[in-house]
Amino acid sequence: MVRIGFEIHVQLKTKSKLFCTCPTNFLDVEPNTNVCPVCTAQPGSKPNGINEEVIRKAVLVALALNCKIRTEPIRFMRKHYFYPDLPSNYQRTSEPFAVDGELAGVRIREIHIEEDPGRYELRDGTVDYNRSGVPLIEIVTEPDMTSVEEARDFLKHLRAVLDYLDVILYPQIGFRVDANVSIEGGERVEVKNINSIHGVVRALKYEIARHKRMLAMGKKITRETRHWDEVRGVTVSLREKETAEDYRYMPDPDIPPYHIDPALVEQLRAQMPELPHQKKDRLVSEYGIDESAAWTFVLDKGLGDLFESLADRVGVKNATAFCLNLRGELNYRNKYLSDIQKPERLESLADLYFSGKITKPVYVDYLRKVLDDPTFVPKAQELLSEDEIRAIAREIIAANPDAVADYRNGEKKALNFLVGQIVAKTKGKADPKKAIQILRGELNR
Amino acid sequence: MPMLEETLEKIRNGEVLPSEHLEEKIAIFEEREPELNAFITPTLDQAREQAKNIDSLVRQEKGEAFYGLVWGIKDNFAIKGVRMTCASKMLENYVPPYTATPVERIFENNGVILGKLNMDEFACGSSGETSYFGPTRNARNPEYVPGGSSSGAGAAVAAGIVDLALGSDTGGSIRNPASFNGVVGLKPTYGLVSRYGLADLAMSLDVPGPLASDAYGIALAMDVIHGYDPRDRVSAKVQLSFLGSLDKFDPGSVRIGFSDKLLDGAEAPVVKTIQHVLKFYESKGVEVVEVDLPDIWTAFPAYYLVMYPEFASAMQKFDGIKYGHRTDAQTLYDVVAKSRDEGFGKEIKRRIIMGTFISMAKNAEWYRLALRARATIVRMFKKAFEQVDMILSPTVPTLPFKLGERINDPVKMYMADALTVPANLAGIPAISFPAGWYGDLPIGAQLMGPRYSDPLLVSAVRFFEKEGKQWSE
Repeated sequence: MVRIGFEIHVQLKTKSKLFCTCPTNFLDVEPNTNVCPVCTAQPGSKPNGINEEVIRKAVLVALALNCKIRTEPIRFMRKHYFYPDLPSNYQRTSEPFAVDGELAGVRIREIHIEEDPGRYELRDGTVDYNRSGVPLIEIVTEPDMTSVEEARDFLKHLRAVLDYLDVILYPQIGFRVDANVSIEGGERVEVKNINSIHGVVRALKYEIARHKRMLAMGKKITRETRHWDEVRGVTVSLREKETAEDYRYMPDPDIPPYHIDPALVEQLRAQMPELPHQKKDRLVSEYGIDESAAWTFVLDKGLGDLFESLADRVGVKNATAFCLNLRGELNYRNKYLSDIQKPERLESLADLYFSGKITKPVYVDYLRKVLDDPTFVPKAQELLSEDEIRAIAREIIAANPDAVADYRNGEKKALNFLVGQIVAKTKGKADPKKAIQILRGELNR
Repeated sequence: MPMLEETLEKIRNGEVLPSEHLEEKIAIFEEREPELNAFITPTLDQAREQAKNIDSLVRQEKGEAFYGLVWGIKDNFAIKGVRMTCASKMLENYVPPYTATPVERIFENNGVILGKLNMDEFACGSSGETSYFGPTRNARNPEYVPGGSSSGAGAAVAAGIVDLALGSDTGGSIRNPASFNGVVGLKPTYGLVSRYGLADLAMSLDVPGPLASDAYGIALAMDVIHGYDPRDRVSAKVQLSFLGSLDKFDPGSVRIGFSDKLLDGAEAPVVKTIQHVLKFYESKGVEVVEVDLPDIWTAFPAYYLVMYPEFASAMQKFDGIKYGHRTDAQTLYDVVAKSRDEGFGKEIKRRIIMGTFISMAKNAEWYRLALRARATIVRMFKKAFEQVDMILSPTVPTLPFKLGERINDPVKMYMADALTVPANLAGIPAISFPAGWYGDLPIGAQLMGPRYSDPLLVSAVRFFEKEGKQWSE
């Protein structure tokens, strides 16, 4: 039996860093500009504070994952290791502030707060400390998942919850995952540094296959830590258990233990926004769609919102069809709706299509263009008039005597062929329904 | 040497301009510094410019607290644009991009800063001998050590080069050199003075504090440098008045605690000095009470078990990559290892190795025991201060020793801290003041009080200065 558990690192969406007032928008600024004496660990600097916004967002997540918030003071620990991206060469990481949660049938063991290190570019030997001190939470699950599908399902649910709470700093980055995986007869292996749900699926499949192969060859699987190489699609051994690092954890003397105010917890509980499972129930009862479509929509927050907006405008049936089709295209691209720039283009696309201003083939074409080309804006086609279609239909009939003969001999498929010819010739500017009508008329004349 | 109060009064009433006062100090600096080596980085030009500005402020009666009194700053406090070495090769060329909170407050109050003072490397030492920039010498007798780690602060104040000095105290680093140089030094209540900008030694023990020739200087300095700082999480939201209570010592309402245990292993002149001070207070109506301090000698080993791991953690950041001394090498590992090997002195390495060892997961029990011992010390003092307002002890059990005498005997060196470390472990204030002389060697006495009793301790010293006489032989 396969057992899978996760440690998930989420960069929290806050204005400033965990221990100083530097902004968190590390992706949007020049390297080493969001820095100060604190987040570069200049000698003599001290952590200025624990950013209260981090506490609020972290507690919100914990409550949404049905965790118990600990009432005893939480200590921040120093985890020591040398690495150029870590300015003090210790990382501050809190004790669990929340425990015993559950999401989608997977138990949440604990959640704690950490600071992100900077970014070290091994190749050119440079470090950017803009990210240093950005707040993270680490969500640790029990090893409750027994297949890659369950694991993917859980991560999709988690991602949805985080999106509904609007707590992810950069949705396009999402979260980082360390996966623990074991199969019967082998020890647990940790795979670190997986950056997407799709990556987790690939890494797990690779790792499970590797374990099975090893056992089949009579080899042992020992406890170790491996690194996921996204480009090569393989896991590589980092270290064995025997050489596990001693991080010399100690309580940070610069940070007095933090007591989470129970009144704050109650306040946040009362302010909790609608969560995916609640929205799913609402979509089913309000719009009468089936459970599975509702889940599909709510697990991508943007898609669920789009569905509701469209249902009011183009009707539930059309909105459902549009959103399911869109989900398929997004899946193909491993994307969330929030990854698409200017998503309002999707609404105009739906409006155009369902009001008959573009044809189905054009709609299919436009949808892909909207997803793949951020500059593409869908516009109504200049549709050909009936007379123009008729003129082209006559050309096609004249150029394809064999197909015409087949049609007249009762071969219905020949009609499709001829319509296809018209669509191709008009580059989609002819409404296929009208084209069939006119073609029939011409053939039967 | 003129009293600080008189100097300040002369500047206030326009008799002496701040820049004239500074030149007097610079003259003493030129005369004594070659022998004492109390400074690592003198900043004479900046000081002169500062004093000139203050000249005009004084005429407008905007002198703030200091009116151009001259300060020296221990070289483990950051001043933007002035190198901060911590007396280590590791930071020989490090220039901080920001200024420490207590220093900021000194600038704001028109303290003229004459330079950065010598010290033991990263404040690790009790003799001023571990500095990468050479040892400082005792201002009273240059053959002797000035004490440490605020060695330059003790010597510069005693020699009259500066009016006031900012030091830091982790296990006695202000009080020890104050005692050895015959000046006053206050280790404030932990958290009373912001540590923001003070390079770490052991974060749960470190506290900045002043050294001055008398209690008045301590009170003047403390009123400025203490108070809440949002940049330091352990900073206390407490506001006290030092000058306001300086002359309000009321012997009839004060009880001083004492225990013979505090004289265990003390040299005879030290014992006599302490007995002399006790008799003085008693003669003035202070009630002297025998207190039980059963765990006072536990503090000494507990201190090292707490300090070493915190120090090792603090020193972790020096890797030759971001700032500080760098030795280039082929691999990342070698850059870090070689930079640290070349950048740190012997005592630093000793403490890092000890601290790393103690904080390893397999030795977690030791650290836990040390924390338990620390809690015992806190309780012991708490109980004692239910009976008395302050406790008198020697600052250092021995007289100052000669340069080179103990530098190769760490245990003997560490023993100098035995009576100063308890106050750091308990987070309570303690002041060392000149109380006796053995020939030309000063002897300091120490008063410890409960948390935030700092102004009372300073006023008790003031009372001794005004009413008492130092012991001598």
